[in-house]
Amino acid sequence: MFWKSKPLWGNKTRLKSSYDAVIIGGGLHGLATAYYLAKEHGITDVAIIEKRFIGFGGAGRNTAIVRANQRTQYNVPLYKEALDLWPVLTKELDYNLMFNNCGNLNLMHSEAAMKAARMTIATAQFHGVESHLIDAKQAKELVPALNISEDITFPIHGAMFHPPGGIVRHDAVVWGLAKGAAKHGVHIHQHTEATAIHTEDGKITGVETSRGRIHTPRVLISAGGYSAGLIYHMLGIKLPIAVLTIQAMVTQPLKPLLDHVVSSGAYHCYANQTLKGEIATGAHMDQWPNYTTQNTAHYIKHQAEALSDWLPCLRGVKFMRIWGGLADMTPDMAPIMDGNDQIEGFYMDCGWGYFGFKSCSAVGKYMAQFMASGHCPDMLKPFNLRRYENHQLMGETAALVSYTPDN
Amino acid sequence: MALTLTCPVCGQRNGYEFRYGGEDKGPRPAEAGLTPAAWCDYVHMNKCTAGVQKEWWFHRDGCGSWFTTWRDTTKNLEVAKPEASK
Ligand SMILES: Cc1cc2nc3c(=O)[nH]c(=O)nc-3n(C[C@H](O)[C@H](O)[C@H](O)COP(=O)(O)OP(=O)(O)OC[C@H]3O[C@@H](n4cnc5c(N)ncnc54)[C@H](O)[C@@H]3O)c2cc1C
Ligand SMILES: [Zn+2]
Repeated sequence: MFWKSKPLWGNKTRLKSSYDAVIIGGGLHGLATAYYLAKEHGITDVAIIEKRFIGFGGAGRNTAIVRANQRTQYNVPLYKEALDLWPVLTKELDYNLMFNNCGNLNLMHSEAAMKAARMTIATAQFHGVESHLIDAKQAKELVPALNISEDITFPIHGAMFHPPGGIVRHDAVVWGLAKGAAKHGVHIHQHTEATAIHTEDGKITGVETSRGRIHTPRVLISAGGYSAGLIYHMLGIKLPIAVLTIQAMVTQPLKPLLDHVVSSGAYHCYANQTLKGEIATGAHMDQWPNYTTQNTAHYIKHQAEALSDWLPCLRGVKFMRIWGGLADMTPDMAPIMDGNDQIEGFYMDCGWGYFGFKSCSAVGKYMAQFMASGHCPDMLKPFNLRRYENHQLMGETAALVSYTPDN
Repeated sequence: MALTLTCPVCGQRNGYEFRYGGEDKGPRPAEAGLTPAAWCDYVHMNKCTAGVQKEWWFHRDGCGSWFTTWRDTTKNLEVAKPEASK
């Protein structure tokens, strides 16, 4: 570089040889955890170790959808708290996170899906989350562009309408949290790769990085899609995770036509209109695990076909940009948050698949509490790793999914 | 991402004809003395290697064979069996 640049979040800091806590991964979860460790627990001697640059992972690639209408009683309260935190964080961080609570519409394409939606809605309402079942006509009133004819591949029977959800600007969350964490004393080290974790007598003692060794009694791995591979290859702990590339794309900007986030499980397709006017849309994951984050003609075609079926006014509109990121999927579609168990001082926060953006605010708060006290907060207890060997998989999906053999 | 796989019966074919069958975890553990932890390890747990791994595939839209092969998960390319396991 020919110029000296100052990071957006504060002053450049020197990599010290010891910290009270080291966080591997400068994504949403690492930044949020560091922020709350420093702000709420007075643990300010914290280093975030980031291989590339903050926001390089899912943090800068997600489609920014937030909602709290999950399926089980363990997940809904966590996501509700995360959703309620966006306006609070906007003020606290003094950074506009551009929360647009336009509401989410989840299309149902069969009577069985309508029944499943009824149960999910009952769970939401029980936990004080607004969610309603609406029929196809009501869906059409909310989104006039919707094709409710019976003549499409998957005719629309109705929808689950969740008004408090919407879109948050994902880059703003990265920048705001980085600024907030740095203000409380956290060191953010970009272009620094964690290469090994040192333990002694079952306790964490340090982290090896591409820029030298750091002594620390506490380590969090929150490296998004890279977490499971790092945890196995550094510590020998295997996780029930499959890492798949997931792709997203945006169209050319259009006049306003879609003021809700609309998603369809049957079409494997979701879409919303950004403030710039583009239709941002995402697809299902690749059919086999890979770390490429590359795009395929297969999914561009799939998106075009799906969208021109249920949003026919988009026929002929062009895709302008397409990108991919990683989704680390568990068999029960719920994350793994655990720690201070297999190895004293080691914490993990992963398995967030394609839902780790909407959760990051609340998760950072609870992971910080966990790391500060060494005790798992009640909110996170159901997400422990041992649930798999105890056959207590969460019911986030109605049936066990295996993203390996029959994705 | 595009992938070509070599079926032992049909030869090189487009990856979309196949179904991924998981990381190769060796033989199924014996029923006698099987613990929940060992069973969970076999059923659910993965190494998630960013690099070359041995894995199962099923020629779904072809001859129906199940076979193992080696693939680099960072490049999505089938590769020759590594030297070490000769
Ligand atoms: C296309 C796409 C769409 C998505 N849409 C949504 C959505 O609409 N809503 C939603 O809630 N979620 C969505 N997600 C999921 C969400 O983006 C992730 O779950 C979330 O980013 C996970 O956050 P994280 O902090 O754990 O990891 P990341 O944000 O992925 O950050 C991990 C960081 O770790 C770093 N790292 C890796 N290895 C090392 C190492 N050895 N040393 C140091 N650093 C390392 C990486 O460089 C990266 O910056 C989507 C994801 C993708 C890819
Ligand atoms: Zn074959």
